[in-house]
Amino acid sequence: MKRAFWAALLSSAFSVSAAQAQEVVQWWDFLSGGDGARMKQLIDQFNTEHEGEIQIEATTLEWGTPFYTKVQTSAAVGEGPDVMTYHLSRLPLGVETGTLSPLTEADMTAAGLAPTDFQQANVDAATVDGQMYAVPFDIHSVVLYYNKERLEAAGLLDANGLPMGLDGAEEFKAALDKLKEGGLDQPLSIHDSTGDSTWRIFYSLLNQQGGQFLDENGEFLSGDNLDKAVAATDLMASWVSEGYAPPNIEYAASIARFTGGEAALHINGVWEVPTMTDLHAKGELFEWGAVQLPVFFDQPATWADSHAFAIPNNQGNEMTPERRAAVMQVIGWMAKNSTFWGTAGHLPAYNPARDTDEFRAMQPNATYSSLAETAAFDPRSPLAGVGSPVYDAAGNFLMPAVNGELTGQEAMEGMRDDLQGQAY
Amino acid sequence: MTRTRRPEALIALALLAPFLLTYAVLFVWPTAQLVALTFTKAPLIGAGDWVGFGNYERLWKDRLFWTATWNTLYFVLLTVIPSTLLGLAIALGVNRLKGWAQSLMLAAFFLPYILPVSVVYRIWSWLLDGEFGLLQVPIAALMGENVPVFRVIPLFIPTVALVTVWWLVGFNVLLFIAGLRNISAEIYEAAALDGATRGQMFRRITWPLIWPITVLVATIQLILQLKIFDQIYLFAQGGRTDATLSMVGLIYRSAFQKNQGGYGATVALVLFLLIVAVSVLQYQLLRARGQR
Amino acid sequence: MTAIPMEAARVTRLRRLNVAGGALTALIVLAAVAWAFPLYWGIVTSLKVEQDVVRPGVHLIPERWTLDAYTYVLFNSQIGRWYVNSVVTAGAVTVLVVAMSAAAGYALSQLRFPGKRLLWWLILASFMVPIPALLVNHFVLMAQFGLLNSWAGVVLPQLIAPVTVIIYKQFFDSVPRDFREAAVMDGATELQLLFRLYLPMNWGITTALAIITFIGAWNTFLWPFLAVTSEDMMNISVGITQVNDAFGVRYARLMAAALLAALPVALVYLVFQRRVTQAIMLTAGIKG
Repeated sequence: MKRAFWAALLSSAFSVSAAQAQEVVQWWDFLSGGDGARMKQLIDQFNTEHEGEIQIEATTLEWGTPFYTKVQTSAAVGEGPDVMTYHLSRLPLGVETGTLSPLTEADMTAAGLAPTDFQQANVDAATVDGQMYAVPFDIHSVVLYYNKERLEAAGLLDANGLPMGLDGAEEFKAALDKLKEGGLDQPLSIHDSTGDSTWRIFYSLLNQQGGQFLDENGEFLSGDNLDKAVAATDLMASWVSEGYAPPNIEYAASIARFTGGEAALHINGVWEVPTMTDLHAKGELFEWGAVQLPVFFDQPATWADSHAFAIPNNQGNEMTPERRAAVMQVIGWMAKNSTFWGTAGHLPAYNPARDTDEFRAMQPNATYSSLAETAAFDPRSPLAGVGSPVYDAAGNFLMPAVNGELTGQEAMEGMRDDLQGQAY
Repeated sequence: MTRTRRPEALIALALLAPFLLTYAVLFVWPTAQLVALTFTKAPLIGAGDWVGFGNYERLWKDRLFWTATWNTLYFVLLTVIPSTLLGLAIALGVNRLKGWAQSLMLAAFFLPYILPVSVVYRIWSWLLDGEFGLLQVPIAALMGENVPVFRVIPLFIPTVALVTVWWLVGFNVLLFIAGLRNISAEIYEAAALDGATRGQMFRRITWPLIWPITVLVATIQLILQLKIFDQIYLFAQGGRTDATLSMVGLIYRSAFQKNQGGYGATVALVLFLLIVAVSVLQYQLLRARGQR
Repeated sequence: MTAIPMEAARVTRLRRLNVAGGALTALIVLAAVAWAFPLYWGIVTSLKVEQDVVRPGVHLIPERWTLDAYTYVLFNSQIGRWYVNSVVTAGAVTVLVVAMSAAAGYALSQLRFPGKRLLWWLILASFMVPIPALLVNHFVLMAQFGLLNSWAGVVLPQLIAPVTVIIYKQFFDSVPRDFREAAVMDGATELQLLFRLYLPMNWGITTALAIITFIGAWNTFLWPFLAVTSEDMMNISVGITQVNDAFGVRYARLMAAALLAALPVALVYLVFQRRVTQAIMLTAGIKG
């Protein structure tokens, strides 16, 4: 009896002191480009506003497979962070490997959020088997960056300063030819040295033909989807083989080719908008713009994904209810302040954040925000998403095909067989 | 009065205890666990179902396993022999110099060896950067265009091997110089008096006497390079990770990226046995040579 | 050419030295320059203004010098913390490995105890053990001990070093018996023998093993890369490849960070060059 009494007293003493103490929230993200700087600003603002209550301690890790490997292994041994950024494309895989902690209604209340604050598609993407595992933060995609001065000189700019004559595979090449005549040796810049960036363009092109990467029966590139995938690959490969874009360009170099003026068109994620904005503000960049990807095939479609916040399922090292409440408060605050996240190029997922004059006037977001209507999200499967077997396969088959080391047909058959072999 | 000495065995035990303890906990036990793990379908952390030889069957049929094995052996071939021969050649050259000149030359060859692998990676990925790399200037002059060597599969392993030789050859040079210094100058003087040519001196004196060092260097390099992971992992990041995988890379990918501890352990055990087999073989060769 | 007088022999030697020797020296100097060049280029890049780094053309010497890249890295990353982690873990590995191995080597060399031969053979056999093959199990083990993300977790699996035991035993074996017997006559205990006789007589090899172990531990990548997930606990060689936000994709900053990571060991080497060289030769000499 006596011991139970002391134990109770002790534990209450602890919980009291825990409630009074400042909660330090360990935060991991993978945001390193222009959007990384914006996120840092958000975190700093949060920390200033919550001095003495909650402090975020942020670590930025290498994007992609390295990040998710760290997350997965450290959650398995209870060494993960308290909160992390997570791609919704990877959610099925994250749930299957037991990396994610389910979010309860109480959690959402603590964050001051409701599922209705987000678009239904976003909420669905954050849900597996009726259970929510993440809070959507944004929708992001790839866009076409363009050099206004170069395009104007080549007669490719309309009265509103927007590119024209780029729709259609042949027309696009004709436009590239005009830019070549204007003195640009290789007028297109794509990051074609890795699987992730080539995948984003490829997946857009596949969906522009109405193709399906993974069908309802769990089969990869079934039926004529294979031909559509080959067509998408071949188109990208032709940009390289016909000399419009150099092969095997690394990420940084792909941006530098555009910002340095060597290429007038650049396909990359919206997350590089801040890079351009900042350079332009410093007077180190020409007049530029960003628009939705041209329609190369039958219909508009653009690959898209979502950054979200998730809590790792730290096995054997559950966090205290106080810490968890603090984490949810962080997530809620981030959602509510996500209009600013729009300056990182992304479309905030939180409806009220988009529903502001500030966001509606934000450029170039307003120009390309139409892409959300035809956004094509990665297949819903534990084999898909960032750092997944699909991304690996893109690096092993698609990327070499774009650079001319494999034919489109070989690459897509290889990719299909490789992925089908991993599906059970 | 003779002082009673405490039993030797007890003192020995006390002196051996720290070593024995770490050896048992960090080597013997994990090795036993490794073998047990290969028969299960375990995740990285936690127990798994017994699957008998299932992992081994999968290994045999796994295309990636054979790629990884081939890549590892290919890398070993491209590093061990060149770095041994080059090490000897550089040692012969440096050994002719005296005083500060020798120290300076030695420093130039040895300095890379003390760099962490990630520094080597940074420096060389910058030198060979497909767009801005300085070495692209001669490459473009020769090939007509820039070649992103770490993204072109046939060039990947040879290039990483080249970087590795640059990185580690200094160590071999030192071992060879130590060997060369052990050969007394009198032998050469006597040979010179007998009118031996430079070539004859190398063949008859230097080479036979330096042979044991050559075997030692090759052995150290062989065992080291079979465990290749770091450079290949760093240089291949984001690219064609399948085609460039090494055996340790496959262990890492299976166990840590795909959370398949059992399968990762199976690959590890095969690598373990391979290295042991190669070492024993080399030891036998060395002994055979010594007995002759 | 037989039976030439000494004077003539020297002339012949000198002539050879002039022609073939000159060519060889030129060759080796050229090779040394080629070997040092990547480092030189890294240093030059780190001292350039970021825009100049990607300017077309070859600029072997910066036109504008700046330490911006260094100040940026020092103030915008946890590089100081990573230094501490590297120094502590590499230092601990060095001290523990050398101490354990010296003690074990002494017991194996000078003391009689049951199972000695068996143990010796076991150690000899584990000389070839590939530690990376035990990665998975070391990770599991350290997770069970709750030592991931800690200095101890980084240090422990690096302590298996049968080679240093072997080397110590061989060096202790070669200490003349007379010395030992004289000391025993004076009533020295085993511990006194070890610390007053065997270790002092072999300071050379102790320094050698310490230097080699330290360089190895400072440069180790794979294990700390796996065992550490928190930025605070990374060592420097892992930190500069894993944490991106500090540097972004700026080449001068990447080079500055890399060179800062290499600096301490490079300085140790340049200051103690003769010692390091001797150290490696010493360990090789006995194994060969």
